[in-house]
Amino acid sequence: MSLLLTAEDWQTIGLTIKLAGTVTLCLFVVGTPIAWWLGRTASRLKGPIGAVVALPLVLPPSVLGFYLLLAMGPYGFIGHFTNWLGVHPLPFTFWGLVVASTFYSLPFMVQPLQNAFEAVGDKPLEAAATLRASPWDAFFSVALPMALPGFLTGGILTFAHTVGEFGVVLMIGGNLPGETRVASVQIYDHVEAMEYAGAHRLSAVMLVFSFLVLLGLYAWRPNPKKA
Amino acid sequence: MFKRCQHLIIGAALALGMASAYAEKVTIAAAADLKYAMADVAQAFEKSHPNDKLDIVYGSSGKALTQIQQGAPYDLYFSADIDYPRELEKAGLVVGKITPYAFGRIVLWSTTMDASKMTLQSLANPDIKHIAIANPKHAPYGMRAVEAIKSAGVWDQVEPKLVYAETVPHAAQLVESGNAQVAVLSLSLVLNPQIASKGKYWLIPDKLHQPLEQAYAITQHGEHNAAAKAFAQYMAQPEARAIMQRYGFVLPGEAK
Amino acid sequence: MAADTIDLDLTLRWPEFTLRVAQSLPGRGVTALFGHSGSGKTTLLRCVAGLERPQGTLRFKGQSWQDGNIFLPAYKRPLGYVFQDANLFPHLSVRGNLRYGMKRAGRGMVRIDDIVELLGIGHLLERKPARLSGGERQRVGIARALALQPQLLLMDEPLSALDIKRKQEILPYLERLHNELDIPILYVTHAPAEVLRLADHVVMMGGGQVQASLPLREAVAQPDSPLFAGQSHVAVIQARAEEATDGLRRLQVAGQWLRVPEDACSSCQPGKTMRLQLAARDVSISLLHLPEISINNQLQARVVDIAPAAHPVNVLVRLELGDGQLLFAEITRASRERLELHPGMLVWALVKAVALAGDMTA
Repeated sequence: MSLLLTAEDWQTIGLTIKLAGTVTLCLFVVGTPIAWWLGRTASRLKGPIGAVVALPLVLPPSVLGFYLLLAMGPYGFIGHFTNWLGVHPLPFTFWGLVVASTFYSLPFMVQPLQNAFEAVGDKPLEAAATLRASPWDAFFSVALPMALPGFLTGGILTFAHTVGEFGVVLMIGGNLPGETRVASVQIYDHVEAMEYAGAHRLSAVMLVFSFLVLLGLYAWRPNPKKA
Repeated sequence: MFKRCQHLIIGAALALGMASAYAEKVTIAAAADLKYAMADVAQAFEKSHPNDKLDIVYGSSGKALTQIQQGAPYDLYFSADIDYPRELEKAGLVVGKITPYAFGRIVLWSTTMDASKMTLQSLANPDIKHIAIANPKHAPYGMRAVEAIKSAGVWDQVEPKLVYAETVPHAAQLVESGNAQVAVLSLSLVLNPQIASKGKYWLIPDKLHQPLEQAYAITQHGEHNAAAKAFAQYMAQPEARAIMQRYGFVLPGEAK
Repeated sequence: MAADTIDLDLTLRWPEFTLRVAQSLPGRGVTALFGHSGSGKTTLLRCVAGLERPQGTLRFKGQSWQDGNIFLPAYKRPLGYVFQDANLFPHLSVRGNLRYGMKRAGRGMVRIDDIVELLGIGHLLERKPARLSGGERQRVGIARALALQPQLLLMDEPLSALDIKRKQEILPYLERLHNELDIPILYVTHAPAEVLRLADHVVMMGGGQVQASLPLREAVAQPDSPLFAGQSHVAVIQARAEEATDGLRRLQVAGQWLRVPEDACSSCQPGKTMRLQLAARDVSISLLHLPEISINNQLQARVVDIAPAAHPVNVLVRLELGDGQLLFAEITRASRERLELHPGMLVWALVKAVALAGDMTA
């Protein structure tokens, strides 16, 4: 297998997995409160905020990447923020990709979670309150376990979506090996340089890997038909 | 009266038909950086050849090569790297000669610093944190940038600071957004009216890198297209050359 | 404001409905909140639980749960709540559901055997709610609320989602609850039968307001009581069970005796106080004691008053037993005139049918 791909190709695969995993974890943390609020609020802001969250679904990734590039640069608001924090600027770094991908994959985590929280409804949480559970307690001991299928779906979709990410990475990554050169960019570079055999091989490996990951996760999901 | 109308209609139809039989369409694949130059040349050509229509598609030379190999209906091919038309020639897909239109030149460019006062050695300066170039893996200008940096003897200091853009305009974008301080671009791009006003440039001596010969040829598809032949010849005329030079597309021996 | 009552003065305003209640409810026994759907009874229960946030004050046996300054959230109130549809946690087993509240109320060490036995759910402990029947789920819901050892039990129409058979199954458990627990129970229902069977006190509600709040005895005594809308009046009597002879169980009331088949009352143990329901249409009046008829049960009583009955041809005669308990008889006007019945008269009430625990036909 190691003779099939170059060391460079393997590096891009490793980086892709690292990016997808990191982004999925970040979105569990960031997406849950957003989904919770959206799933339970009666505020008039629900519609507009829901639409903003869903934007990455329809924006061309290169548009998102373009605006993120501007925002993260020294003239943009994210750039100003990182500057103020004393942190290294985000473009051309792995963490820059994590931040960008978090925006890009946001609806893939928030929407399944929101649906799951809506399905939980008010009643179980009221029951928990009458059983001496504080709101935080009720969230962790009742809402979260009941919404578990939503977490699984959100996690799977986010991971898969980030593995396939291309347009955004191209815009702000700078294509640096080991840092921002993910598999999708590497495949594109192979094609651009007309190294079609290399493109085929790397694509095939990514395809098989993604399929196995998704297969494993889908097979593990609790079956609602079983008691 | 009715018969008269009929005659008129038939006559008009014939006339139109004959007119369009003489007007010809030429489809051209051109390298992306030729955009403004070619537009001007095409305009001048169409003035003196009112019956001919030029349809120009701009894009990556490599992609166009692949498309032509797969039978895309281009009559003329303007490539930023002469190696590509030579490949077509090997496959017998070229008609006539491959004619150079320029030798590509590279420059240092910045919006925040005065690049006209820089040299390649300046790139080692710690103030310059990121230098944007087109990906050398597949962009000819990127390859030449790497060669020049190596020839200047600063590769070890500069390489860690490089960031790779997909195309030369993308590299310019990285500088414009403030994310890179300097970029290595093509001369043709910095002379482009959109870019020219934004910063200064320094022309990198062409002895520091391999020549980037850029050439055009008539494809097999355009073999019997008289207008295509006419345009190919027009490109070599002084009027066309003057426009090309204005945009930075110079041949050796032409005034800079 | 006594220290043994639940005192409310609450207002809750919604777009199409306003709840406005100022009452003092008993601090013991079962208080039924009775009314049609939309009358506000469930809303009132939820306000007491802290699941809604009304304006006003709420004091539970002297503890202030809500006033101008504070609002004690639901999870800090020492109550148990039984929902209309059990509302069990689907991701926990029955045991897990029971333990949920116990852990949090600091009662982890208390054994739940008694409650499990009381509600007959011992064989269900390891099952998940999805594999329980409606009746079983409801019993688990009750057990879960009780496992907290609450100071107040709130029940929101616990039987309305069940069919007749399940209702019959659970009612005995509720009666046992009533007898064995010392805590106040607020019981929301729209079914008069449940009120008659379980309540000590009745709060009649309509349109978001309290229309009446009375002990059950008085609630059934009203001729126009909503408990009997359109149906025959039912008297609720307390009697003491005694020994059984020849297959008949003796029940003593006001110094007199009723006899019912022994197997009609399996929970009648000597010494136990039983609740009986006597429908007015099952009671006839005689001026004399009649040993020569088949009706065994004859009670001497005094006529209190006579009022029109629902049916225009009948009247409802209110009778008082020696110990003050009330009885009703529905007879025709013609009979009343023939017998020349008037208040103060001593007569005999002939009781054709007695409904006891286990019988839902009232």
